[in-house]
Amino acid sequence: MAEVESVQDPDSELERLRARVAALEDELVEVQARANAAVAAAQERAYWLERWHIDLNALMRKPGAKQFRALLRAVRAVGRQGRRIKRRLST
Amino acid sequence: MTSVSVVVPVKDGARHLGELLDALRREGPDEILVVDSGSRDDSTAIARTGGARLLEIEPAQFGHGRTRNLAAESTTGELICFLTQDATPVPGWLAAYREAFTLDPRVGAAYGPHLPRADTSPMIARELSEFFASFAPDGSPVVQRAGDPSFLSNVNACYARACWEEIRFRDVGYAEDQAFGADLLARAWTKVYHPGAGVLHAHDYGPLEFMRRYFDEYRGLRETTGHVEPLRLRGVIGLVGADLRWMSEHGVAPRERARWTARSLAHHSGRRIAAPIGSRADRLPRTLRRGLSLEGRADGPAGARADAAAAAVGGAAGAGAAATEEALGVAVASAGADAVDDALGGGGVPRGTHVDPWGGRKEDYMEAALVRERGVTPLLDAVPGMADHERLRIAMILPPFRRGSGGHNTLLQILTRLERRGHVCSVWVHDVMRMHQSEWNGVLRWNLREFFAPIAAPVYKGFDAWQGADVAIATGWQTVYPALLLDQCRARVYVVNDHEPDFYPASVERVLAEETYRQGLHSIAASPWLRDVLIERYGASADAFRLGVEHEVYRPRPVRRRQDTVIYYARQGTPRRAVPTALHALRTLHERRPDVRIVLFGDNTPLETAFPYEHLGVVSPTELSWLYSEATVGLCLSLTNFSLMPKEMLACGLPCVELAGVSAESIFGTDGPIELAPLDPGVLADALERLLDDPQLRARRSCEGIEFVASHTWEHATDEVEAGLRHALRLREATWSR
Repeated sequence: MAEVESVQDPDSELERLRARVAALEDELVEVQARANAAVAAAQERAYWLERWHIDLNALMRKPGAKQFRALLRAVRAVGRQGRRIKRRLST
Repeated sequence: MTSVSVVVPVKDGARHLGELLDALRREGPDEILVVDSGSRDDSTAIARTGGARLLEIEPAQFGHGRTRNLAAESTTGELICFLTQDATPVPGWLAAYREAFTLDPRVGAAYGPHLPRADTSPMIARELSEFFASFAPDGSPVVQRAGDPSFLSNVNACYARACWEEIRFRDVGYAEDQAFGADLLARAWTKVYHPGAGVLHAHDYGPLEFMRRYFDEYRGLRETTGHVEPLRLRGVIGLVGADLRWMSEHGVAPRERARWTARSLAHHSGRRIAAPIGSRADRLPRTLRRGLSLEGRADGPAGARADAAAAAVGGAAGAGAAATEEALGVAVASAGADAVDDALGGGGVPRGTHVDPWGGRKEDYMEAALVRERGVTPLLDAVPGMADHERLRIAMILPPFRRGSGGHNTLLQILTRLERRGHVCSVWVHDVMRMHQSEWNGVLRWNLREFFAPIAAPVYKGFDAWQGADVAIATGWQTVYPALLLDQCRARVYVVNDHEPDFYPASVERVLAEETYRQGLHSIAASPWLRDVLIERYGASADAFRLGVEHEVYRPRPVRRRQDTVIYYARQGTPRRAVPTALHALRTLHERRPDVRIVLFGDNTPLETAFPYEHLGVVSPTELSWLYSEATVGLCLSLTNFSLMPKEMLACGLPCVELAGVSAESIFGTDGPIELAPLDPGVLADALERLLDDPQLRARRSCEGIEFVASHTWEHATDEVEAGLRHALRLREATWSR
């Protein structure tokens, strides 16, 4: 129906296309705004790592990194358990 | 049989030289040449008695590349082997090299492993063994072609004369062999790693000496390839573990193992600390640099920039070379590696050093050349009504920056306000002089926020992540050329803070800066004067904006205004500030009125003057506002576009003197709040004296000044810039529709 209308009325087809372009433009701006905000937030968070040239992804790819992480997890788990027991004992 | 010459550069190498020459005699090359660069031990005597031909050069003439070129020119063999003074060939060394050159018709060079000596520490022995084993896992010789590792080490290497003549060693402070390896592969030669061509070689130092050596090596690497070693301590335990495993496999006694474990920890930790410091040696005081250097070197090699240009080893390759060199402890045959002005050759027509194109590193202003070659990247088609979109995608391209840069402050004050108005902004730093080479994006962003204004936009160094924009804003003249090459732009705009060609004498910079105004970018100039210059002199389309004042900072402070103080912005390093003339004016004023207190600020180095003054150095904006509120008269001169400073003085109620006949009239008028005087010391002194003498005139100027600049806000400046951006989009729309 719309196609028939556009053949019959070039002005309204032009208007429709303009509106579509405008909507796409708005969408592009919105997407770009969100992408910029995400990148800026990541840059904010990573400041100290970047300042010290630490690439955590590269670091965690190194041999022993998985084991180190597992060790950390284990230590944290022990800490959590300790705190839990302490809470139970104190209540 | 192919003839072979062996070259050994020497300086104080008596310890291993006799053993080396004995081994060479056993191998039987056709010629042995020892090049001595000022030994104080018995090296020369050992060389003479060891059957070598001796070539003696001045220590200052030594250069790793140039001395080897000289030596190669002095020999005749079809193959030229290079050894360092502490590298002793193992039996079969020469036969292995001869075999290497039969493995492929285009073999240009060959190299062999560096084997640990009996007393080499386990850390170094392990690294050497593992490193060379990686080249030939099955123990057979390997032909390496383009795409393979470019590693080559002049500790132990052999070159086909034809290949050396074509390529020659570069005259670089370090890593001439690495550069040769890269060049060789790039020119379709091949190289061979032959496990049989081994030498006994290893450097062993104490932990502290190792740290100082790594400091030197990474400093050299930064100077030649630009590689910056990151600070990372975390791999140390893994390396110590590897050393322990190696000692266990090689049957090192448990007590020895414990001793070496402690050394291993110190060694690897020391490397991780010394390498990043060496990479950043330029930031250290000269005395500290010399103290940390094992070579006692305070300065980088003269012409380090030229060296960097010549070193075609790219960043990644450079990092690889660093890892290799540190693993090998490659010998530095002489400490006299500092660059020397005169080339070797000893008379006749001087020969230049071959310099290849820059591999992986770009020359300054490359974008300008690209614009000339390829033309400007076309803009996107215009979208009807794009100038009136509520939110624009704005990409601002900045030149390198430092704390206190007025131009950057202007740009980022405006950008933050554009952001607050809903525009989607991003910042792109065009690091043309590699000032920010070692700074990652997050650090650049943090610095921009810290130094200038709290932008919310992401910051990118370079344009790898370029994503298009409604308006790409060039800011300094250097940023115009990359902006012209960017795609997916609806319009390009040029925010012009000053007439930058005036910053340069006759030079490429001046010409390129002038060209930027003729590139068809719509300009938004930081004063009506500047706008008129762009229109009249260059035929550019241009709008103008008025610089804003931070009224929260620059306001009259509650302090009694003195009656005797002249405060002058004496920035000696900025020629457009006309400092010599201003100092003459102040001297004249002092001669006329010795009781006047003169205060100079803006430069950390005190100036030599013919009159007494108080030196304040670089002062923060808040401190400045107090100074302006206390002083009697301000002096601030600009031979190009006026700066913010006179406005900030006026905002604090301080009458001030500026140059007449340049740009100030376009903002302040001829009889406005500012006292204008021509570039004449006597007349400038008259103007200062007039204001000092006449309290009524001062009061009038002060009131007029505060009133005048009240409307000069960053919000207003942003209004004008935003209007300029939309104007550019309209112009684009109009051009496109035609």
